Amino acid sequence: MARAVASGTRADAILGFVSGALALIAIALPGRLRDPIAGTLRRDLVAPLIALQKNAELGRLALIRHDQEIAGKDSVALRALLVPSLESENDRLRRLLGLGRALRWGFVPAEALHSRALGEEFTMTLTAGARNGVRPFSAVVAPEGLVGMVETVDPRMCLAISWAHPDFRVSAMTADGSAFGIAKAHLGSGTDRYLLELSGVQLSTTLPSGTLIVSSGVGGVYPRGIPVGTVMRELGPREGFTEGWARTYLLRPAVKPQDINSVMILEPRRGAAGVQAVWADSLKDSTADSSASPGMQPGTEADSADTPDGPTR
Amino acid sequence: MTTSGTIRLAVAFFVLVLLHFSLRPALGWRAEIDFLLIAVLLAAVRLRPGMASLVGCTVGLIADSLTPNAFGAGALAMTIVAYLASWLKAVFFADNLALNGFFFFAGQWAYEIIYLIAAHQMQGMELVQQILVWGLLSSAVTAAAGVVLLVLMRPLLEPATA
Repeated sequence: MARAVASGTRADAILGFVSGALALIAIALPGRLRDPIAGTLRRDLVAPLIALQKNAELGRLALIRHDQEIAGKDSVALRALLVPSLESENDRLRRLLGLGRALRWGFVPAEALHSRALGEEFTMTLTAGARNGVRPFSAVVAPEGLVGMVETVDPRMCLAISWAHPDFRVSAMTADGSAFGIAKAHLGSGTDRYLLELSGVQLSTTLPSGTLIVSSGVGGVYPRGIPVGTVMRELGPREGFTEGWARTYLLRPAVKPQDINSVMILEPRRGAAGVQAVWADSLKDSTADSSASPGMQPGTEADSADTPDGPTR
Repeated sequence: MTTSGTIRLAVAFFVLVLLHFSLRPALGWRAEIDFLLIAVLLAAVRLRPGMASLVGCTVGLIADSLTPNAFGAGALAMTIVAYLASWLKAVFFADNLALNGFFFFAGQWAYEIIYLIAAHQMQGMELVQQILVWGLLSSAVTAAAGVVLLVLMRPLLEPATA
């Protein structure tokens, strides 16, 4: 037994020595002998495994490329998604330029910064202030129509309420002046919250859907002729409107909330001079066809109240 | 070792060789798992030191055929590691995963050190960095993979009960 163990140990030692010697010889082999041996091993034993390795690496590269391609496709898709918004922004900016050209003077351009904080959804910060000539109670307008009113003015900025604010009120009328009322935010729920209502319309007057409603100029804050919205339908007892002496109408606002980005603040003297010619096209369209879409483009005709002092900015 | 045990060991060995040439390149890690070393160590603890060193030398030479400039270095490293593993198998005979993990870790690191010194391809700080950073990392992932494989291949590697 002891001899067998000793014999085994000796055999192990010999085999171990031989293996180590083989490895050392392999290290010491000159290139001209080493390369053919390595080549033979590669071709006869490793080649099938190398094919496996190649496929595995190709698989990994395919995964990496797939991720890159997906990222590339995502980028293209993202850019494609941006195109309509860029076109829309371009369109808005062009219309804003049109509004500026039509107003000619007495306005201050500003960017509207919205707060998403609770209770501040209907208030916006405008990037122009007293130093730019902005005064409290100035009307804020966009190419589509009335946006709101300046409440507080700081030297470099001001706070304004939009038409959706619960405190917003504007004396309004139909474009042809046949009916008057007070336009204010419709304090409904859900998406109805972003509509306006025209209350106090005399009972004898019925306003068809699509009728353009503009500011009447009564009260002095909002000049006459700024589009406020279009009539959607009459509000009745079903909605809790039971005024016996007047009618109330639901209005689609002229300026959509998402379009309140770049605005114009009208100086009081500009408001006093009148802005009816600015939205003249809208008024004309409305008078010609009350059911037409309220695509309110600012007029390109010069305002009759032009003065030589030019725009404020 | 019985015929059945030899066949099962051969199957496990073959699976590990396949993993070395399929999973390892697919993962593409900088600190690579050395499935060949795991295969050699698993075989070594089931063989006598002489046979283990022969297996190590053969596997090392085959692996070295892909790196002709370091031809023989892997064979030498595998031979020494396999011989020592077989000789030390009594220490690691206990069915303890942590001990086996350490066994794989030490085996891989010893292999890396011997290979790098024998290959003469690195010197100075580069060699130290390779041994102490990448060598240790590679040893750690190899040890982890070895432990996982031991658990997965336990039915294949353990002798069948009567």
